[in-house]
Order: sequence, then C-alpha cells, then structure tokens
Amino acid sequence: MSIANLLNGVAFGALLLILSSGLALIYGLRGVINFSHGALYMLGAYVAYQSVGALGFWGALVVAPLVVAVAGVALELGVFRPLEHRSHVEVGLVTFGLAMIIERVIVLIWGEDTLPVEGPGGLAGTVSVFGSGYPAYRLFIIATAAVMAVGLFVWLQRSRTGLHIRATSQDPEMAEILGVNVSRLSLLVMAVGGALAGVAGALAAPYFSVQPSMGQAILIPVLIVVVVGGVGSVGGAMTAALVLGIGQTLGNVWAPSVTVLLPYVLVIGVLLWRPTGIAGKRVV
Amino acid sequence: MTTFSPPTEADQDPVPSGRPGARRGPRVSRRAWRAAAVVAVFVIGLGLPVVVSNPYYLGIATDGAVLGILALSIGFLASRCGLISLGHTTFFGLAAYTFAISTTNWGWAPLVAALFAVLVGSAVGALVGAAIVRTPGIGFLVLTLAIGQAFYQLSVQTALRPLTGTYDGIPIIYADGQTMLGRDQADMGDASQFWPIAWTVLIGFVVVVTLVTRSRFGRTIEAVRENEERARFSGLNTFTPRLLAFMLSATGASVAGVLFALKANYVSPNVFSFVTAGDSVIAALVGGWTTAVGPVIGAVLYVFGQSELGATGNLQLFTGIALVVTIAFLRTGIVGALTSLWSLARRVLLTRRTR
Repeated sequence: MSIANLLNGVAFGALLLILSSGLALIYGLRGVINFSHGALYMLGAYVAYQSVGALGFWGALVVAPLVVAVAGVALELGVFRPLEHRSHVEVGLVTFGLAMIIERVIVLIWGEDTLPVEGPGGLAGTVSVFGSGYPAYRLFIIATAAVMAVGLFVWLQRSRTGLHIRATSQDPEMAEILGVNVSRLSLLVMAVGGALAGVAGALAAPYFSVQPSMGQAILIPVLIVVVVGGVGSVGGAMTAALVLGIGQTLGNVWAPSVTVLLPYVLVIGVLLWRPTGIAGKRVV
Repeated sequence: MTTFSPPTEADQDPVPSGRPGARRGPRVSRRAWRAAAVVAVFVIGLGLPVVVSNPYYLGIATDGAVLGILALSIGFLASRCGLISLGHTTFFGLAAYTFAISTTNWGWAPLVAALFAVLVGSAVGALVGAAIVRTPGIGFLVLTLAIGQAFYQLSVQTALRPLTGTYDGIPIIYADGQTMLGRDQADMGDASQFWPIAWTVLIGFVVVVTLVTRSRFGRTIEAVRENEERARFSGLNTFTPRLLAFMLSATGASVAGVLFALKANYVSPNVFSFVTAGDSVIAALVGGWTTAVGPVIGAVLYVFGQSELGATGNLQLFTGIALVVTIAFLRTGIVGALTSLWSLARRVLLTRRTR
C-alpha cells in the first residue's frame, strides 16, 4: 500500500463527507431522504464547468455553491413545504422524480459528452508527501473538506442556530413549541445543504470531469453513508464517509472484485445490527 | 373457479354500501357475476393477437404484461404493507439469470428451468424478507436498494464471467429439440405466440393478489400497516403476515423475471439495474397501486413510453415528471383518479334522477 493510494481514499472520502453532511442535515431536520442530492451535486459540477472559463476556478468555486443553494431553497419552497404533511417516503419519492428531471435537463443543456474542467493553475503540480509526489489539487480537496467539517461542527455546537437545528432534529414539535422557527430553519438548512452539494460538485469537476451519470453514481454511496451514519447524524455521516472512501479506494488496489460489494455489505450489516445507524439519534 | 372476484375496474364498487338498494340481491350471484366477468376478460384478452395484428403494438402489450406482473408485485407490497421496495430487481433478475443459466449452461428443459428459477427467486425472497421486513420506512427503501445493487455488482464480476457473461449477458440457447409449452425457441420471441402465456400468468396473478387482498390475511397486513404497535397489542403476530406478503411479492417478481427471459431469449445485468428497480416502482405508483389493475396500466404506459421515447433519451424526463405529478396531485394514481371520477359522475347522475 502506498501513501498515494491512502490519500486517494481520503480524497474520495472527503467528497462523500461534504455531500453526506448536507444530506444528513436535511434528513435530520425534515426526516426526508433527499434523493435529488446527487442531481444537485451534478448541477454544481456543470455550473462550475460553465463558469470556469469566464471566472476561473476560484470564481466557479463561489458561483456553483450559490446556484445550488438557490436550487435547495427552491426545493424547500416548491416541494418540502407544500408536502409537509405527507409521509416522508412519499416526499422522498418526489425528490427521486425531481432527480430524474434535473439530471435529464442538465444533459439536454450541456450534452451527453464527458467534459473536462480546468483545475486551478496554482495547484496543478504535485507535492511531496512523505517522500512520494502527490497531486496538490487532491490535497486541496482534503483540506477543504476538513475545514468544512470543523466549520460545521463549530456551527452546530456553538451557535444558537446550531442549537436550534439540533433541537429540531431531536423533536420538531417540541422545538416549535419552545419558539424555534422551524420553517426558517428548514429554509436555511436546505440552502446550506445545497451549497455543500455545490461545493462538492465544483471540487469534483476537475478531479473526475463532468458527465451525465455522475449524479446517479454518487447518490448510492452517499445514501449509504448517511443511513449507516445514523438518522440525520452529521458526525456519523462524516465518519462513515471517511471509512467508506478509504475502504473502497484501498480495497480497489487489493481485491477489486470483493470491494465493489463493500458499501452494500456495510449498509446491510449496519442496518440489520442497528437500524438507527452507528450514531443512533445523535445529531453531531 | 366460481368464487373468483374480477380484477377489472368493475370490482372497485364505486358507490359502496350507504346507498340503499346497492347491495340488494343474494351475495352469491354477485360473486358468480364477478367470476364470469374475469373469465370473459380473460377469454377476450386471449384473442388480442387476432384484433391487433401489428407486431409493434402486440409487443408493447406483451412486454407491458410482463412488466405489469413486476409492478403489481411491488405495488401490492407498497399498498398493503406500506413497504416500498427499490430492490425487487433482486428476485426479477435472479429468476431471469437462473432460467438463462439452467437452460443454456445446463441444458435443462425450459419448463423445468422456469419452475426452478421461480423457486430460486422465491427462496431468496423468503431469506431477504425475513431479514428486512421489520425495518421501517426509509431504512427498508435503502436496504432493498442496497441488496438489489449488490446483485447488480455480482452479475458484472469478472470472476463470474463463465456463469453470467458479465456485461455481455447470456444469450439463451435451448438444448437440441427442447420446447416450451409446445413452442420452440424462435416462437418465444414472437409476441403473438408469447402473448397467451403472458396474459394467462398476468390474469392469474391479478386474481391471486385480489383474493389475498380481500381475505382475512389481507385485512391483517393492512392493520399492521396502519399501526404495527396496536396490531401487536391486539394479539396479532405482526412479523409473519408481513413476511408472507413479502414472499408473495418476491414470487411475483420472480415469475416476471422468468417471463422476461423467455420473451427476450437474452438476459443482461440490466435486469438488476437501479433504473429497472426505480422505473418499476414508478410504473406501479403512476398507474395507482391501491388497485390491482393500476400497476399493470402503469407498466403498459411505461413500455409504450419506452418504445416511443427510447431513442431520444427523454424517457427519464417524462418518467420523473409523471412520478412528481402523481404523488403531488393524484395520490391514487391514474386508475384511482379514474375510479373516483367515475363514482363522482355516478353520484351526480343518481342524485339528479331521484330529484
């Protein structure tokens, strides 16, 4: 095992981490699994592709999360709020349908081809990590995810809004009785969740290129990570994301044919052993 | 045979009880009436190839019937138990592959292979069901999705190439001189030859599902769906009925898988794919899974859309729109909406007359 393989695993885990923490936030607050999260990530990547020419990579890294945050807000206002009193599974299925629509519309706009995205010039080379060269851009992905993870933790643990989010995830009715404005909170969480998906998409664009199947391909591992992590637990999702990212990338080097089954075995095992996931009902 | 209830719209009594005179007459005659209606629909349906000679439309009807059996399996489980499965491709695909492998690799007679394949799919269904039917809501959705995708990954494994052919799939070849119900292999691919088989199985399955739904067992699973805890406190065993319902559903999916392999004479990893799993749930939901005919109608519409839009790639777009619109506005699907429209019309007409 080389250090490069390990870092590749961490980089993939880092992307999963950014995506799944947004999904876990929404899941915790709304109780709904947002099946369109993969499509939002894909939207972020395509917006990044579109804006990288005019604004450069750094501009794209700002624009993509903004656009996807708006999409998240639209999802909240157009879907989650009108269907608030319907069963969570039904609302989940609506987002499943929306994912199909968004992904197809993206293909109608940008076409079926795989499109390359230019990474930031300053991070084009490699950096020496413990004596072996490693692409600087992937280290940047890891660093960004680490910063976001710490930021989310501090936000959820220290701020008043974070307290409200944790309280609402535990018991929405009680939180509302105690004066938490759940609607506004939900709007905020959808914007943050969307922005996180946008960041993940923009970060992934230069790494994997952008392509029509990217949304669906990432959705299944992200769903698995969130469910394994625990009902709406951001900390659990982050842990599961890193374990899965590293496990899958390392496994691909050692025993590829067994490794493709890893996520499925992981989720089936965890759910049968502990139906609420590894973190139980804790939010952070 | 005389006590079967019809699976058609006719049996969704649009104006239930309440109205005096609606239930006049002995019950038996009503049942006999329904049984006669089923037999009539069945016989008329058998004659479809005579009326529709265009192989394109006949092909849609046949594929729609096969997908309809899968959609009905999923819809039955979803509406009666509240368990939405994104992994019925597990049983559909396993049965299809078992049929392909046992005829092509082992030279079994097609009929024996078909029965064996249904048995394999159902047995795996029993195991999977025993493990997962207790998991509620989203957990069930994700578990079934994971199990289905795990089988997809298995089917494309390089190590299993001699058995599954990985991405190439398996072109089915019967051993020399083998026939299925008197039809040789080339006939099976012909929609007009295959239609009677698909139609018979479809009607049989619709009747079974309708009878099960109306039985005491059907009411038990409904009670468990509405409030599992209360059903348990009332002394009901809540696990076994759900498991049995899951097994019936898995058997239906296996039957559909075998029919699919028989008709196509070919299986590929596609039978396990996420798209197949999602689209069959959508077909059931859009058609309306509160009735037995709903999922079948949804499946036929889906197959029609597939052959009309398949080339443009916009099928996904329209399927997504249909799903969103159905859940948001037509909660009981197309058939449910038509039924309530019909009952509304009848009520309006009847009130006019009594005035």
